[in-house]
Amino acid sequence: MGVGRMAGPNQQAERRPRHSFEEHTGEVLVRLEAPSLEGLFAEAGRALAELLAGEPPVPKGQAERVQLEAPDRQTLLADFVNELIFLSETRKKVYSELEVERVEGGALSARVRGAEPDSLRTAVKAATFHRLEISEGPGGYSATLVLDV
Amino acid sequence: MGPPPLKQIGPVMYEVDKSFREDMRVPARVLADAALLEQIRRDKSLEQLVNVATLPGITRQAIGMPDMHEGYGFPVGGVAGTVLPDGVISPGGIGFDINCGVRLLACELRREELDDRLEQVVHELSRSVPTGYGRHGRLSLSHGELDRVLEEGVPYLVRELGLGLEEDLELIESRGSLSGAEAGCVSERAKQRGADQLGTLGGGNHFLEVQSVDEVFDLGAARSLGLAEGQVTLLIHTGSRGLGHQICTDYVRSMDQSLARHGLTLPDRQLACAPFSSPEGQRYFAAMCAAANFAWSNRQVLTHRAREVFGRVLGKEGARLRVVYDVAHNIAKLERYGGRELCIHRKGATRAFGPSSQEIPPAYRGVGQPVFIPGSMGTSSFVLVGTDASADISFSSTCHGAGRAMSRSAAKRQVRGEVLRRELETRGIVVRCPSNAELAEEAPVAYKDVERVVEVVHRAGVATKVARLRPLGVLKG
Repeated sequence: MGVGRMAGPNQQAERRPRHSFEEHTGEVLVRLEAPSLEGLFAEAGRALAELLAGEPPVPKGQAERVQLEAPDRQTLLADFVNELIFLSETRKKVYSELEVERVEGGALSARVRGAEPDSLRTAVKAATFHRLEISEGPGGYSATLVLDV
Repeated sequence: MGPPPLKQIGPVMYEVDKSFREDMRVPARVLADAALLEQIRRDKSLEQLVNVATLPGITRQAIGMPDMHEGYGFPVGGVAGTVLPDGVISPGGIGFDINCGVRLLACELRREELDDRLEQVVHELSRSVPTGYGRHGRLSLSHGELDRVLEEGVPYLVRELGLGLEEDLELIESRGSLSGAEAGCVSERAKQRGADQLGTLGGGNHFLEVQSVDEVFDLGAARSLGLAEGQVTLLIHTGSRGLGHQICTDYVRSMDQSLARHGLTLPDRQLACAPFSSPEGQRYFAAMCAAANFAWSNRQVLTHRAREVFGRVLGKEGARLRVVYDVAHNIAKLERYGGRELCIHRKGATRAFGPSSQEIPPAYRGVGQPVFIPGSMGTSSFVLVGTDASADISFSSTCHGAGRAMSRSAAKRQVRGEVLRRELETRGIVVRCPSNAELAEEAPVAYKDVERVVEVVHRAGVATKVARLRPLGVLKG
């Protein structure tokens, strides 16, 4: 799973989707980076999968379709992660294959595949609005998201 | 703007004046000593407490407990009272884990009578109580049964499902049932998440801990609570699981959208709120009460499982696990102070009614409401009782634990899980934890010193020390 240091400004042209977990006393602050909004949302899902299971299990079976609407893209990001948390808990799966097809005009459509892990690592309760931010730069998009764990 | 300036206004009380920021409606107070204050100032919790002091309808002061640390919106360890009917209710001021709380059970056996059966007790508990996505031990409910748990709480489990004893009810905060609960205000998604989660611990810092009473500080109060030195106890720490998490998610989202309609502006989106009297406020409160009933029911099912396990391993005497008390530390309650009805938000804070309260079990009147303060993994926990003076100081509230002092990733950099596991085992503590990484995240070094936290609330006069409990065996969620 691609956890690493964020690309510096001179590397922005070749920015690849990345996530990192940063210091927060009580919860988990996730920093995301990707060349496209779709990539940014998919990376948020991969960060969640890593938190939930460490090395997530190989996805099995049919993909599940996710369609969401929200008043703005920040809210949509929190909604998407909360949808994945809901699916994980009710289907008892961790979703690590995320194909985010469209993030546009406050709407998202995605296909996700997962599998049941042998064990769970970190229980994630929800994505919060605290410090939620998406910003756009020359190399793509970056975001911060605080998860309650 | 620099960090909020604190002025010492009592031996263990500090205040940020409301002139610090224009949007503050009341001062922000913190109960702490110098060492804890230094830890508190390392993160954003004080700024978050100042944000709480801006909530519409807040009265007197926003209060931070000595175990306070940075959360999202409210700090963990924050207390706020808003004046009804139009002061706000904020789901983030209760948290995602609605009615996360602790229940203490007292066994008739003494430490030495466990002999070599301690390991078996912890092992059998781990077989009876699922962690992660484990399927065994869960109480699966039909839709109708779940709605009854949500609206009726523990009395339904005891009287109709046979899960516990009639005498348990009196010894649970609000008798394990808030009458304002409405299952119709709980989304189908929340019900789906909760449908098979009664009788589960959940992850994070949740646990079951077998302990013994290590030291008694107040003999009279300990006697009233039925506790004596050397006695075996079991502490249960868990909450409303995914059902509560989803309710908070649902209502933060809808209140975030209704802020403009109510003319509310907030310094942090996660403080999303609505006037208590508004339809949004009323529906959230009804859903929160339902989640609180679910959480008390969860701890009741775990009590039932523990009685089965103790009975199987330790015989009839072992099975007699008496509820000492069960208390929430993430909840909003309607309480009266100074002749007014307030909505008291306790986020990582415990109610601590004093001896003269009529809200506490008759057996504890004249003593005070029991309060349980769990330590971090492998450290002692404390039993305290609330005081009448806490009403004026902290809306009858006290701390809820040691309180994190370090992020999970920092803890993992400092502590190796397998080393901590060996160290705990060397001290004779039996540990069941899914992974070494999770164990490291909960290492004592990641938390404040619980003894110091408890000393502060004792000195502040909001709760007084009764006994210290030493861990013998831990099942971590």
